Amino acid sequence: MTQIQNASASAPVLAALPVETPEQLEAFEARIAAGEKIEPGDWMPAEYRRQLIRMISQHAHSEVVGMLPEGEWIRFAPSLKRKLILMAKVQDEAGHGQYLYHAAETLGATREEMVDALLSGKAKYSSIFNYPTHSWADVGMIGWLVDGAAIKNQTMLAGCSYGPYSRAMVRICSEETFHHKQGKEMIVLYAQGTPKQREMAQDALNRWWWPSLMMLGPHDADSPNSGVLSRWGVKLKSNDEVRQEYMNEHVPELLEAGLTIPDSDLHQDEQGNWRHGAIDWTEFWAVVKGERGLNKERLGARQQAHTDGAWVRDALDAYAVRESGATRA
Amino acid sequence: MSELPRWEVFKQDGPGKVHQAVGSVHAGDGQHALFTARSVFARRPAAVSLWVARADHIFALTKQELDAGKGLSEGNGGTFYIFGKKTNRRSMTLGDHLGTLEASNPQAALEAARTQYGDDLLVWWLVPDSALVRSTDSAETVESWFAPAKDKTYKQQSSYGVVGQHASAHKKAVRGGDHD
Ligand SMILES: [Fe+2]
Ligand SMILES: [Fe+2]
Repeated sequence: MTQIQNASASAPVLAALPVETPEQLEAFEARIAAGEKIEPGDWMPAEYRRQLIRMISQHAHSEVVGMLPEGEWIRFAPSLKRKLILMAKVQDEAGHGQYLYHAAETLGATREEMVDALLSGKAKYSSIFNYPTHSWADVGMIGWLVDGAAIKNQTMLAGCSYGPYSRAMVRICSEETFHHKQGKEMIVLYAQGTPKQREMAQDALNRWWWPSLMMLGPHDADSPNSGVLSRWGVKLKSNDEVRQEYMNEHVPELLEAGLTIPDSDLHQDEQGNWRHGAIDWTEFWAVVKGERGLNKERLGARQQAHTDGAWVRDALDAYAVRESGATRA
Repeated sequence: MSELPRWEVFKQDGPGKVHQAVGSVHAGDGQHALFTARSVFARRPAAVSLWVARADHIFALTKQELDAGKGLSEGNGGTFYIFGKKTNRRSMTLGDHLGTLEASNPQAALEAARTQYGDDLLVWWLVPDSALVRSTDSAETVESWFAPAKDKTYKQQSSYGVVGQHASAHKKAVRGGDHD
């Protein structure tokens, strides 16, 4: 009954696992090649488990931290309708974090150690959420571009070889489409609106365009973890391939909306693919390392929320103690 | 404090449909698990009933484990709810509730299930009846728990249908690209 139990995946336990034989690895890779899903309880290389825990928990943290930049704007929503939409979106992102923590738990990670890793700053999350939001138009632009880029990545991951991760992605993608469309709708309306609204939409695009390209990860040549993840059917497309899909969908739509993409080298190649100019990766890495952006503020907000919720956990504990006492008596 | 126990969640999308394993939540007891499951898995209209069971009370086995001769651990007899994963096709649920049977222990329940529901399932979950906590089936509960989501049509992507149909002129130039 391995499915349910939390075999700890920490280093000492992994060291005690039976040695991996070439036959085991071959059978595992044959299953992946045949399009089978690996389920909890099935044999898997320790490295597959380790990489998945790293990737899925980072993904979960990103959903959780992803509530913050937009959550700040709920109280400034210009209408009740937009407020309801934004609340529903932020609530969905909380749910996405839950689905993903669940998927990581099936590999032996515990919720507690993952949450601790986030709160202590040990764990990474997508640096896109460390950019500040300056105006209400950012809410629309995040939905269109950031959720749009995330959908491209998550649609790919929905086909991944690990069953629980794949299922979480299918569930998430069906909800993300709403995030994407509400943002696109808002920006298209702003782009056709008053001069002030058009200016807000363009300003938001100017600030979010490059970060949205960068959030799909380093170029293939500079992507250290991709090799084993693509070999074992987790990443079915490379970062650059996903980025290309994202460009090909979003560039025409942004242009059609009457907005200007802040890239003077942007062009369509002979195949019809939209190509971007050189990406400034120094900015990306500075944000990843927390030298730029709101890393401290985002973590601070999470830590505060955790502290503020202590009384709920204490009450649950006290209730559990009282109930177990009552049944013993 | 250490984390609360994990509960697997089974959701029924509509009358006449079967419960499906959708994921898990952490909670102090069954009622807490049901409330949490509602927030996590029933934000959209398709739900009429939720079941939860503590993850460590479920007996689970994959086809690979079964083929390797692995069996289920000891446990009490009684009524078992059988869930199974049938295909590797893309899905947001692990599998369906296939049926319910009586057996003198989990291993016997598994063998009966294999005879009854087919031997080619990819994952088996056996949930003892005693481990399940269910949302109430009364019309009142179903209404108050699950109906509010129905009016929130703005959560459905279909509410935004026309947006984004405007860029076809710029799009069709792409040849041989991968679009979804
Ligand atoms: Fe999300
Ligand atoms: Fe989203």
